[in-house]
Amino acid sequence: MLVLSRKVGEKIKIGKDIVINILKIEGGIIRVGIDAPQRIPILRMEVFEKIQNENIESVSRKTDEITDAIELIKNKLPKE
Amino acid sequence: MKILSRKFGEIEIDDDKILVMPEGLPGFDGFERFVLLEDPKTAPFCWFQSVDEPNLSMIVMNPFLFKPDYELDLDGFIGTRDWENTTPDDLIIYVVVNVSEKENETKITANLMGPLIINQKNKEVIQAVISDTTYSHQHNVLTSS
Repeated sequence: MLVLSRKVGEKIKIGKDIVINILKIEGGIIRVGIDAPQRIPILRMEVFEKIQNENIESVSRKTDEITDAIELIKNKLPKE
Repeated sequence: MKILSRKFGEIEIDDDKILVMPEGLPGFDGFERFVLLEDPKTAPFCWFQSVDEPNLSMIVMNPFLFKPDYELDLDGFIGTRDWENTTPDDLIIYVVVNVSEKENETKITANLMGPLIINQKNKEVIQAVISDTTYSHQHNVLTSS
């Protein structure tokens, strides 16, 4: 991992079109501004991890263990 | 082509049913080709099955069945992609489902924070991240309204 020290107001450029601005540091919280093209997904890591964990959990479920769930959900959904 | 699936064993699928995840599936780096398998016996649950790894299969379903007012900014989403001539009508939405058993009670949750957005025009799938709303990654499907 590359580690850099920056002061408030200083920037970091990553590749051709991403710039990270250090906007404010206050009470242990750092506000960061990120300029990047729209196609680059920027996520809080914990949000990404939640989505990743739900995917992994869904794959780990044995496929024959959902018979009960199918009945439950069929009863819940409006009948066609 | 023939593929090996986790739920249905060896099955034949049309090449034009193959979906591609150019940004990959979070948690499963390196797998990009998937197919959506439906079966009346498991409906409304469907299977988002990897073409290349039989064991990689997620349970997914149409979120609007249990959450009719589920809202996504599809126009905004299309704007972030290089998807030319694509309209919201070209997109199909599925959400990842988890079934768990707790104290003999079956719980069904759906990840409304990370919907799978399928572009029927170019067969691309993106797992979007909706982090600016109150949608939960473990939305309780059975108590949903």
